[in-house]
Amino acid sequence: MTVSEKTLPAPAPSVLPEVKPFWDATAEGRLVLPKCTECGTFIWFPRPFCPACASTSVEWVQASGRGTVYSYTVNRRGVADMSAYREAGVYVLAYVELEEGPRIMTNIVECDPDSVRVGQKVELVFHDTGQGTALARFKPTGGG
Amino acid sequence: MKVAASEHAQYNPHALLPKPVSVDDVLNSPMLSDPLHRMDSCVVTDGGGAVIIASPEVARRINRPRVKVLGHGEAPKHTANGHIDLTYTGARWSGPRAFEEAGCKPADIDYASIYDSFTITVLETIEDLGFCEKGKGGQFVADGGLRARGGKLPVNTDGGGLCNNHPGMGGMMKVLEGVRQVRGEAHPEVQVKDLELALVHGTGGSLGTRMASATLILGVEDA
Repeated sequence: MTVSEKTLPAPAPSVLPEVKPFWDATAEGRLVLPKCTECGTFIWFPRPFCPACASTSVEWVQASGRGTVYSYTVNRRGVADMSAYREAGVYVLAYVELEEGPRIMTNIVECDPDSVRVGQKVELVFHDTGQGTALARFKPTGGG
Repeated sequence: MKVAASEHAQYNPHALLPKPVSVDDVLNSPMLSDPLHRMDSCVVTDGGGAVIIASPEVARRINRPRVKVLGHGEAPKHTANGHIDLTYTGARWSGPRAFEEAGCKPADIDYASIYDSFTITVLETIEDLGFCEKGKGGQFVADGGLRARGGKLPVNTDGGGLCNNHPGMGGMMKVLEGVRQVRGEAHPEVQVKDLELALVHGTGGSLGTRMASATLILGVEDA
């Protein structure tokens, strides 16, 4: 099997006001992480307070976009109750551990799904939703 | 896990999938989401159940074998601010709480109902509850550990979610079979002999993100 013949859908998220800076950055091709200015903790998923120390003083820090595959699965049957993914074909659902620490749920794209491995180095790509946001996904570093 | 469940389900006239299957059958079933095949997944059905919990005074007036609730534990597990660890479930916290309240240990349990959305759910849970060493669940199961006959820990003798039924709230089904076992009312082919203690474990949410675990320990009346 080679690269999945189908393009993974990129459904638009619902953008809540408190995480608008996160989604605005994706439209510019940047992945930004909330970081607590009090205790320095990176925060994931994005939210306007620190789950470690409860501070509401949060800054947005640009991530390097580099990470490694923490875990993954190759989904071969789509998702029955999500119309956008019902016909998605074979795709990789993964947790990527960012250089900054957080493990984020994402997809590994632009590669043979069967070639993905735990610990593999990956780098950020964005898939435009067409509605002012983009989805952060990852491809193998160095083209595989 | 699937093989043991299917062997049990053949004695359950209500089971959706009552036919015994082999390991090869499971491995040859279509791959859904690596490494889970179709036969690693629970069935999808409707269903329902109810449990009556009464004071000892009321319970004694009812002419049925009585089941005692000896211990319970609950625990949520979250994504830990971006540091999720997929190698364990909330059972590692709910289990010890239930064992402590009941005053017993995993080796004392004669039967277990373990929530089984997928085979991996059972595997992680039996490890987290302390029925085997962490990481050794595969061997425990491969050695026939879950079988009603001869298994170290007979599990899901109604066929479980993998073969019997799986309505949205699977925990209820787990309690029902646990109660049948403690009462000695399971099918004779899968009834655990001389049973004193049973464990029931429910899992909610999604193992891959946020989830919750609930453990219950049931006993015969004089346990």
